[in-house]
Amino acid sequence: MVQYLVILLDDTSVSYCHADNPNAERKLISIEHLKAGIHEAMRQNWMIQFVYPDYELPQEYLDVIDTIDHHDIFGIEKSNFEVENENDSVRVMDYSQLATANIQFSGGILVLRLAKKDLFEGDDKIAALLPKVERLNIVITDLDTFTDSDIERYRTILAKISEKVKALYLGGATPQFNLLTDRIMLSKPNHCNAGVENLTLAPNGKFYICPAFYYSNPDNSIGDIKSFHETSELQIPNQQLFRLDYAPLCRHCDAYHCRRCVWLNRKTTLEVNTPSREQCVVAHTEREASRLLLAEIREKATFMPETEIKEINYNDPFEVRKEW
Amino acid sequence: MIKLKGRKEPWQSGVAKNITFIVTKDCQLACKYCYLVGKNIKERMSWDTAKAFIDYVLGHEDDFREESVIWDFIGGEPFLEIELIDKICDYLKLRMFELNHHWFNSYRFNFSTNGINYHTPEVQAFIQKNREHLSIGITIDGTEKKHDLNRVYKITEKGSYQDVVKNIPLWLEQFPNAGTKVTISSADIPYITESVMHLYSLSIHEVNINVVFEDVWQEGDDKKFEEQLMTLADTIIDGGWYQDYACSFFSENIGKPMDPERDNQNWCGAGKMLSVDAAGNLYPCTRFAQYSLREKKALIIGNIKDGINQNLLRPFLTLDRTTQSPQKCLECEVASGCAWCQGENYDAAKTNTIYERSTAICLMHKARVRANNYYWNKLFRKLELEERREEFEKNHRKSNPSIC
Repeated sequence: MVQYLVILLDDTSVSYCHADNPNAERKLISIEHLKAGIHEAMRQNWMIQFVYPDYELPQEYLDVIDTIDHHDIFGIEKSNFEVENENDSVRVMDYSQLATANIQFSGGILVLRLAKKDLFEGDDKIAALLPKVERLNIVITDLDTFTDSDIERYRTILAKISEKVKALYLGGATPQFNLLTDRIMLSKPNHCNAGVENLTLAPNGKFYICPAFYYSNPDNSIGDIKSFHETSELQIPNQQLFRLDYAPLCRHCDAYHCRRCVWLNRKTTLEVNTPSREQCVVAHTEREASRLLLAEIREKATFMPETEIKEINYNDPFEVRKEW
Repeated sequence: MIKLKGRKEPWQSGVAKNITFIVTKDCQLACKYCYLVGKNIKERMSWDTAKAFIDYVLGHEDDFREESVIWDFIGGEPFLEIELIDKICDYLKLRMFELNHHWFNSYRFNFSTNGINYHTPEVQAFIQKNREHLSIGITIDGTEKKHDLNRVYKITEKGSYQDVVKNIPLWLEQFPNAGTKVTISSADIPYITESVMHLYSLSIHEVNINVVFEDVWQEGDDKKFEEQLMTLADTIIDGGWYQDYACSFFSENIGKPMDPERDNQNWCGAGKMLSVDAAGNLYPCTRFAQYSLREKKALIIGNIKDGINQNLLRPFLTLDRTTQSPQKCLECEVASGCAWCQGENYDAAKTNTIYERSTAICLMHKARVRANNYYWNKLFRKLELEERREEFEKNHRKSNPSIC
């Protein structure tokens, strides 16, 4: 059941996930489409997440946005602007901005998009962010290129950052870091669920599975705002394949924190319900690092006694598919 | 002991890798039901491509751990390229021996042919050379009328029956246990009984027959189909043909409900097989090559230069029955034995997915199940009256639905 609507306010709205936004030319959503999107979200009881471009919107738009409860997702440049309820919003930055910008954080959620190379070389900088934000989400933009040697490096990097997380916990802080603490906190899958729990409205007034489907091909539309108003229906052929119970590998998997990115799935395996080996192995490397972190914290203190992450002998559920 | 002919298990069934050379996309015939919509005379495999493919496969022994291998040759009509095939097979044998490959002495060469060139010196020389490792199936659809209804030459549209049937005695002499494959489309339904009986009369003991998976069926076809199968059942049982001959339409294992967990395996072997075409592109099955597809783009999983992209195989190797089937199939009380073709599923699907099962044959399967029930009830009753049922139950060979 759809619960969230992502509204891309401009063609250059910040990318906050695996897919880059290739659009360089500004194209603001029309005020009519914006109002219609909000209206439909109210009718359907959807929570809206507005995704902003790097320039300030006209006051007319801000006034319309302010007519509904929502969350904001904006690039780090935008954080200098006045944004209401800033601590509820998500700020997105690239690794290059981390190196150059002199930004003072004071809580809130930060999404840091980076390539694996930056992750491997910048672990100290990443670890330094943890005390400054309420939550840090790392998005690896070239996840589909991980090799076996990359996985080894990734394991080492996660172990290093894990030391910092452990120290913070033992010092009484409660950092949230998607790569290491989400799996500890979760007792059931918490995937992206694009196409099932959330949809995207693009500046052209059309709906998409998620922003990446729009970026990769605007013809991927699943309906437009005008006809949706008439029918309350979208055309998502084979929509069941976006659901977890129709994903033969994922429905058995307990890497609950994995994004299970359906866009990456389709890009790498041609099927939205089947993850690539790289997506599975990366998620399981994080799962194992989370398991070790939990064990190490528990050596020093009582911590989440009800949580259990089992030790497993595989990195890719595909390897054990015949046992299911 | 009562003899009752059951269908033979394919050689090394379940433990052999099927590797297919699409040696040509040309064929002398233009069969009206042929799923190969893109046949042409241009795409003929070169020796360089064939050799590079063999070197890739045999050079990656760790990636191909199946106990045995079936080297399949299809077209179009494979025997149009007998010279190339002979060279390929010689090279395969040589390299498997030189590499001490685990497939050496556990291999077969397999052909599906229209039979027209079967008698030629080139084909016969090849058969003599490879006899111990060879299986060849000739497709003949039944009576001349039924055969020539579909299996016609591509330019003249002349029926091919006479050119095929003349080679049947030689074929059966060389392969006495060989079976033939019969395909049923809408227009063929009235000829099923006479065709099967005709094939039996040609001394073909095994008739593997199936309805096409494509959505070609018209209203009322299921009733006509059931009537034909009932007549066929009566003819086989009343004439005692069941003792020495088999027809794959009748199987004890079909028409039962299926458990969503225990009976969840995929029907089709796509992804476990491997095909290569003249361009050196690799496919999970020949049905995913462009010449087999009406609506969709070819689903290429690699090429002879770069090898197989294993990520593209994952959807095939994780595919199960329940995930791809609509609810009506999961709830179907006669589900077992209802087949599907992954390539046709892909071609007919609303999206570019292999996870949407086509149900075009639904009514035809149900009709088959009713006739099949009739067949076994009648046969068992006959055997009981002859006090031979118990003996039959103990000794008869059960047939197995084949997986393509």
